[in-house]
Parts: sequence; structure tokens; C-alpha cells
Amino acid sequence: MLQIKDLKAKIDNKEILKGLNLEIKPGEVHAIMGPNGSGKSTLSNVLSGKKGYTVSGDVTYFNENLLELEIEERAHKGIFLAFQYPLEIPGVNTNIFLKTSLNAVKKANGEKELDAIEFLKLVKKKASELKFDENILSRQLNVGFSGGEKKKNEILQMSILNPKLSILDETDSGLDIDALKIVSDGVNASRSKESSFLIITHYQRLLEYIKPDFVHVLINGQIVKSGGSELALELENKGYESLS
Amino acid sequence: MEQLKVDFDKVIESLKLSRESINFRKKNFNQFINNGFPNKRVEDWKFSDLNQIISSNIENLRFYTDLELGETDESTFIDKFAHNKIIFLNGIISKVDFSFEDDSKVLITNDLNQNETSKEVNPLVSLNNALVASYIRVTVKENYSLNKPLIIYNITTKKLKSTTINLKTDIVLEKNSSLKLINLCGDNSENNFINIVQNFDISQDAILKNYKIDHKKNSNIKYSYNNINLEKNSISENFIFSTGSKFMKNEINCNLNDKYSSAFINGIINLTNSQHHEIKTNINHLAENTKSYQLIKSVLNDNAKGIYQGKIYVDSKAQKTNGYQLSKALLLSENTEFDGKPELEIYADDVKCSHGATSGNLDEDAIFYLMSRGLSNQQSKELLINGFLLDAVEKITDIEIKDLIKKMIGIVE
Ligand SMILES: Nc1ncnc2c1ncn2[C@@H]1O[C@H](COP(=O)(O)OP(=O)(O)OP(=O)(O)O)[C@@H](O)[C@H]1O
Ligand SMILES: [Mg+2]
Repeated sequence: MLQIKDLKAKIDNKEILKGLNLEIKPGEVHAIMGPNGSGKSTLSNVLSGKKGYTVSGDVTYFNENLLELEIEERAHKGIFLAFQYPLEIPGVNTNIFLKTSLNAVKKANGEKELDAIEFLKLVKKKASELKFDENILSRQLNVGFSGGEKKKNEILQMSILNPKLSILDETDSGLDIDALKIVSDGVNASRSKESSFLIITHYQRLLEYIKPDFVHVLINGQIVKSGGSELALELENKGYESLS
Repeated sequence: MEQLKVDFDKVIESLKLSRESINFRKKNFNQFINNGFPNKRVEDWKFSDLNQIISSNIENLRFYTDLELGETDESTFIDKFAHNKIIFLNGIISKVDFSFEDDSKVLITNDLNQNETSKEVNPLVSLNNALVASYIRVTVKENYSLNKPLIIYNITTKKLKSTTINLKTDIVLEKNSSLKLINLCGDNSENNFINIVQNFDISQDAILKNYKIDHKKNSNIKYSYNNINLEKNSISENFIFSTGSKFMKNEINCNLNDKYSSAFINGIINLTNSQHHEIKTNINHLAENTKSYQLIKSVLNDNAKGIYQGKIYVDSKAQKTNGYQLSKALLLSENTEFDGKPELEIYADDVKCSHGATSGNLDEDAIFYLMSRGLSNQQSKELLINGFLLDAVEKITDIEIKDLIKKMIGIVE
């Protein structure tokens, strides 16, 4: 579903991604690990269409040139990024945001939009699956949410939008052990032949819950090593030093 | 100005006034003639050169209010909730309806024969005094709270021949009474100068809520002057929704005359194209333990210009004053201009006063976040802008009216 060839990204004349190659097939779970500042979030941003980067290389998503699509078109076509640092949006009610988002995606795909009651039912169900206090959803989007609540809110959005490619940028950082378990269960439950995951993490622990098909090591803007889930354990023991 | 003199004589002739009243009007007329429309050399008008704005928008100024009324556009009327009404049609009162109230508790007078003694220094108030053709004074008797809000509709129609309209209302709240008031503009005429003067006398323990709504895009030039006097333990809550007119200046002079009185002035300026709106406040803390609070949020697009001049004056007698003002502006294009001028003049030592101002653009990262969830650029911006405006709107304490204004802005819930 996703082929990345020789992807380079510059910002303010600083090269961050320096020729990155990666292929993700439907149903696969890929993990990316790598030191701070190696370009993991930059990769997620570029895949989601964030402006401000000078990008070169080829990224094909379901036989389309992904780099030519607008941010919201990528979302409509099933790309979802769970932000490392979800933004606080004052004055925007979380429930209204969720409904606007879901209906925007549905509309773009020619599906019937949900009315207020149908939406509320869906959100109730998804929130209770994630043990997410739904009272929080009547508050302003992420404003005053705890670190963990923000991360859970990202996963709630993911499970409502039901994307094809989910990129989780350090979703595990800041989650307590119970929450980590719940979020992992959520991801595992939505694993299917069609949906794929790109999971960015610093911790092998998450990968015990969500067993990846592949683990990649991103250092200095390039993938320097790929392997199976055992690679995560190896990194945990030896660190990145031996690879760079 | 020749036309003005001719029209003034016509007004005097048509209104059948008492001798004192004619003298009062002549004095005011001369005061205006001596000053003319304020220009940018006048300190209070340095960001809004009214003289220039009027001469470049209105070709032939005419001041005589004719009695051609024309059709009212029914959509101007609020149908969301029952209310009392005063309708000004082309500057003339066409309807007064207090059918929800006990008529011994709400007194209405229309007598144009006034001769106030106070010396007027504001030339636009002088102009209003000289020319006003229709007047209403509403007195709410002691201990009475109106059952329903009062909406004063200021409607113009295409039939309007004069190019200027002067409106005047006085509202008197006796002890421990209360009134919720909406001043709503319904403009169907084009390129007029509308000069509105309202006086509010709020007695001890009384509460006035005044919501000033100028929401439909129109080409008129407006000045609204409110003079508010607050007695002991009384409250004045004001909300300004400033988005419709080509030019609008809302000026509020508020005197906190006695202990424990408080004033709230919150508002929104939301402009596109070359609209130019100003909010100017003078809050005078003249007694101990008085409180004022102001929050103004502005959103400027295209070539729009927004101004907020907020002055807090604290008299030496006004110990334990609490004064607060905050202005936040979103500038959505490079060609917008926002001018903020906070002024604190404090002669007491035990006071808490603060002011703050920010201006900036929308947060690009926030737009990215919303768009990554499938919202279009436009939808994302609208959500963020409405979110920005919301905390000022949330200050409205009347739920019904708050919902009305939210709907007018387009805030969904
Ligand atoms: N707008 C920017 N301008 C300049 N440098 C930037 C900009 N954004 C990111 N960088 C730099 O690019 C590099 C990669 O950043 P990125 O956020 O992708 O790292 P990361 O791998 O996600 O790190 P972490 O593990 O800490 O989240 C860093 O050195 C960062 O400082
Ligand atoms: Mg990162």
C-alpha cells in the first residue's frame, strides 16, 4: 500500500530525511525506532502532508503519488497520524471536532454522514472500549487534558476514523501501564488484512503488546537496519551506538 | 454645511417644540457647527477619521428625516424567543410593544421637549441633540424585572431619503429593577450615517444587560455612544457584536458612581474587506470597591481595520478598585490593521488594575492537526476562529441571547 523510495526532506536548509526507503504492505505492522532527532516525527509529518518541508523522492500510496495530495485528502484516503504532541485547540469542543472530522472523511468517500444521535452512539462505544471517560469529550479539544488523556484521545480518533494506514508517533510515551495495555488492545483489535500500522517508539515494551512484523532503525535520516521483532530486543540491550 | 442649516430649520419647524427646547437644540447645533465631524487630529478619533470616512462614503449629506417608511424586512425580527419591542424605522419610532409586562411598571415617554443642562462636549452627541426626530425613554419602576427581553430594532429601508439618522433612547432603571436589552441593527438602506445616543441610569441594586448587535453586512457608517451611570451595587453588562457595518464606532462612557457597582464590556469585532470598526471605552471608577472587566476579541480579514481604545480612570476616592482589560486580535491577512490603545489613569493607591493585548495569526500547526483529521483548510480555519471568539461570547450571562449570538456567528454546538 505504501512505497517510499529515496525520500529526502529539508527544512530551513537543514536536511533531515536523507534518502529513506520503506515498503508497507496491507495488514503489516512496522515499528520504527531511533535516537532523538533522527527524523522519525519528520517522516510522519511528511507522510501526512505537513507544509514547510522541501521534499524529494517517490512516495506511492495505493498507486497514487502521495506527495501530490493535500493534507485532508490523505486523511480522506485513510492516512492517520497520532501526534507525538497532540495540539491544544481552545474553544473547539472535542465532540464537535470528532463529528466534523468523521463526517468530512465519510463525505469525501461518498458515504452517508452520521447525525448527532448516530455519532453519539458510536463515540460512546469507542470511548468505553478505550476506557476513556466520555465526559472529557465535552471539553475543549485537548485543553487541560493530561499527557495520557491526549494520547488516548488520539487513539480514540483513530478508532473512530478507521484508517488504512495509522502512524503512531510515540503514542506509548506518557501512557501508564494500564493505558498502554488498553491502547495496544485497541490497535490489535483493529489489525486486519487491510489496515497497516507504522509505530514509532523508543520502548521495546510496546512491541511486546503489539507484535510488529518488521522493526526498522532510523538514524540520521536513513533506515540503517531492518529486521523482525527480535531487533527491538537487541536494540534495548545494545543501544544505537553499535549501529551508527 | 449649508444643507445642514437648511435641514436643521426644517427639523425645528416640523417638530413643534417648546421655546426652551428650540434653544437647547440651537445651542447643540452651534456646538456641532463649530467642531464639525471629528477628524484624526482629535485624540479620540486618531484611528478613525470620521470626517474623511463620511465625505468619501456619502455624496450629499442630508439631515432632514422624512417620514417615508417603506417595507420592513421581516427577517430582521428575532423569532427565537418572545420579547418586547421598540422599532425605529428610518429613525422614527413605528412600534412600541411591551405586551409581556405590567404596564404600571414600565413607563414610556416620547416627549421631544428636552433641555438638559449638562454641557455636551461630544460634537456627535450635539448633532444628535440638535436633529433627533423621534425619541423614547423607558423607565423601569422599583423592584420590577421585565419578564422578557426588550429588543430595540434600528431598521432602515430603501425608501430612506435622508442620508443621516439620529436615534436617541434613555433607559432608567429604578432601584432593584432589571432589564435585558438587545440593540439590533437591520440595515436595508445604503451609505447612511447613523448616529445613536443612549443614556442609561442604573439605580442602586439594579441590573442592566445590554447586547449590541450589528451583524448583517451593510454599507452604513455608524456611531453609537452610550453613557452609563451606575449607582451603589448595580451592574451593567455589555456585549458588542460588531461585524455588519462598513464603519462602526462603539463608544461607551461608564461612570461607576457608587460603591460595589460593576461594569462588564465584552465584545467581538469580526471584519472582512475594507470594514473599519472601533470600540472605545472610558471606565470611570469614582467610588470605592468598584469593578470593571473588559475582553475584546477581534478577527480581521482582507484590508479590514480594527481598533480598541480602552481607558480605565481611577479617582483618588476609588480605593479597592478592580479594573481589568484584555484585547486579543487575529490578523488573517497582511493588509489588516489593528490598533490597540490601553490607557490607565490611576489616582488611588490601593487598586488592582491590569491590561494586556496580543495579536497574531492562526497557528499553522493547529491547522495541520485539524486537516490531518480530514477537515478542509477552510473548515479548520473556521473552527479555530470560532474557538478564538468563543471565550468572549461565553461571557454573556443570558443563555437565550448567548445562543442567539452564537448562531449569528456560526458557532455550532
Ligand atoms: N522546523 C524545523 N527547523 C529546523 N530543524 C528542525 C525543524 N523540525 C525538526 N527539526 C530538526 O530535525 C531533526 C529531526 O526531528 P524529528 O522531530 O523528526 O526527530 P525525532 O526522531 O522525532 O526525535 P524524537 O525521538 O525526539 O521525537 C531534529 O534535529 C530537529 O531539531
Ligand atoms: Mg519525534
